[in-house]
Amino acid sequence: MRLPALAALLALASPAMADVPEVISKHVLPGYAAFSKASADLAAAAQTDCAAEGLRDEWNATFDAWLGVSHLRMGPVEEQGRALAIAYWPDPKNIGGRQLDAMLTKADPALLTSEAMAQVSVAARGLFGLERLIYGDSAQISDAYACDLRKALAQDLAAMAATTEAGWTGGYADLVLSAGAEGNATFLTASEGRQALFTQLITGLEFDADTRIGRPLGTFDKPRPERAEALASGRSLRNVTLSLTALRAMAEALAQGLGEIPQTEAAFDRALDLAGKLDDPTFAGVSDPSGRLKVEILQQAIQAARTAAEAEIGTLLGVSAGFNSADGD
Amino acid sequence: MKRRAFLASLAAAAALPRASWADAGSPAYLAAAKEVSGDYSLSGISRAGERLFSLPLPSRGHAATAHPTRPEAVAFARRPGTFALVIDCATGATTARLTPPEGRQFNGHGVYSADGATLYTSEVVAEGSEGRIGLWDAARGYQRIGEFASNGIGPHEIRRLPGSDDLVVVNGGIQTDPSDRTPLNLDTMRPNLSYLSPEGAVLEVVELPELWQNSIRHLALRSDGQVAFAMQWQGDLAEPVPLLGLHRRGEDVILAEPFDAEMFAMKGYAGSVAYTQDGQQVAITSPKGGRIQAFSAMGVPLWSLARADVCGLGPCAEGGFVATDGQGLVARVIDGRLEPLSSASVSWDNHLVALG
Repeated sequence: MRLPALAALLALASPAMADVPEVISKHVLPGYAAFSKASADLAAAAQTDCAAEGLRDEWNATFDAWLGVSHLRMGPVEEQGRALAIAYWPDPKNIGGRQLDAMLTKADPALLTSEAMAQVSVAARGLFGLERLIYGDSAQISDAYACDLRKALAQDLAAMAATTEAGWTGGYADLVLSAGAEGNATFLTASEGRQALFTQLITGLEFDADTRIGRPLGTFDKPRPERAEALASGRSLRNVTLSLTALRAMAEALAQGLGEIPQTEAAFDRALDLAGKLDDPTFAGVSDPSGRLKVEILQQAIQAARTAAEAEIGTLLGVSAGFNSADGD
Repeated sequence: MKRRAFLASLAAAAALPRASWADAGSPAYLAAAKEVSGDYSLSGISRAGERLFSLPLPSRGHAATAHPTRPEAVAFARRPGTFALVIDCATGATTARLTPPEGRQFNGHGVYSADGATLYTSEVVAEGSEGRIGLWDAARGYQRIGEFASNGIGPHEIRRLPGSDDLVVVNGGIQTDPSDRTPLNLDTMRPNLSYLSPEGAVLEVVELPELWQNSIRHLALRSDGQVAFAMQWQGDLAEPVPLLGLHRRGEDVILAEPFDAEMFAMKGYAGSVAYTQDGQQVAITSPKGGRIQAFSAMGVPLWSLARADVCGLGPCAEGGFVATDGQGLVARVIDGRLEPLSSASVSWDNHLVALG
């Protein structure tokens, strides 16, 4: 039985819950449960009425929930390309858009089941596939097939969220919690479980700074506001804010019971404060010098949070960035 | 030639019977490492994954190459390299120290001629990163005896075609700052795979014009001469590109595309490449993505495995591969499963060099 094992492992760790169990019980599992619930609500809403406008609230709630866990790129979400199918971005060649266009043109009814949808290219599915069909060109998304496609995509997304959550509660959390135990071929030492979670925190911060903000920033000579994430729905900055909020919670959980992380907390607070004051929801300001400066300052604040987390939490956990992964050959 | 090295080579020559790889404990692999102390070393590793010996290196190593008959290996510094050490793996003694000529830098890899008489080293002219292959007399104390062009910028790995003295070298195409590793030409780079005669004549060149920002850096050779080359993508990481190519003289390149679900898993970076002993599978590692991806020798994706900071890779005599990582693990990897062989308090560096 998997569930009792997980409960037992979490219970063993209390009352002084520290780092790994803390992250799993307070961050990972609730995060996936919320994503699973939100995506199920979206799928249910689409079943009731698949008109684009009516799905905006549920779609946004699902994206919000995804940002609570989008930095976790280990375990079930990595199987069968789920993380890519949930949120295929960046997509510089617009592969997802072109595939959806082709699907709308062909209007194949056989595609409209969640089983068939699971076979569709990852680029066309998930949150960004739905964004195209909810916030896209109204002529293109108003016909009956687009409506059915939203239903099928929402069901597919909910199925992936549920499978990911079930993967954690039904085995993967045990693997992380029992890192170093006999027979655990995924995490060979106790330290490898902590290292894996710590890596998610650091790469999550890097993704926010380098990709979510770095792609629209482009270069001074060639700003690229059109490359902002979730531009059509206008949630580019919101995604950064919610991701940072989740990463801050993860940092707190990782340090729980081990020591204080004042510099990390201060750096997160500063980044979140800057994000809160930035009146530029899609980073459109990167094209003019003063607007650009504000976005750059936010990016630097996130980079500072990464540096602080690496130093403080890395030290507390006794882990560091990988030896070979740190640079090239 | 250094007097000490000369005396050492005389001593080696006088020893009867001649030392063989068995005298070094018959290591199956060589690998550079960083020790807990922060020092750098070169280790011999047995078939079972045990560390048989460990020799200090003056700074961070990269790859090594083994003499075909003598228990002698050359350990190369990480680029831009200022040294290569010839090590007697039976005694642990350094028998020669190779220093690149003025204005040249070693690039971390080298290979012996089939008879073991000549050592070829991958080098760059420090200013401009023009590639050179250095020639050293391995029969007489490793004197520098010549050099020729590598046919490109920034050569990295060099190997010899099985049963031949023809060389295959990958020119990564990246010009670097002579004082460090900063790339200078990522917008104009032009990597290639070149087949060269032992005299340096260009026999065949492979380029991938559509993937000109894919730096070709590492090699594995199958006994029948199929060449597997591993690449590192310098373009937009949001574009999925293949990182493994397969080629045979006179034929078209096969690009090995991973499963869709795995197309970003390597983070655009392949660090090592190896065939299985039977040549049926070929795999690449990515420490940046924490992944091993395996393909058939026709380039069809077969399986992948997540393992943080994995990089070193070689064939396993019992089937599958042996991989090393930055956490000190030596493990057999077969059909997507990991079987730990040993664990040590070291960080294994980029390459696991198979002997024999």
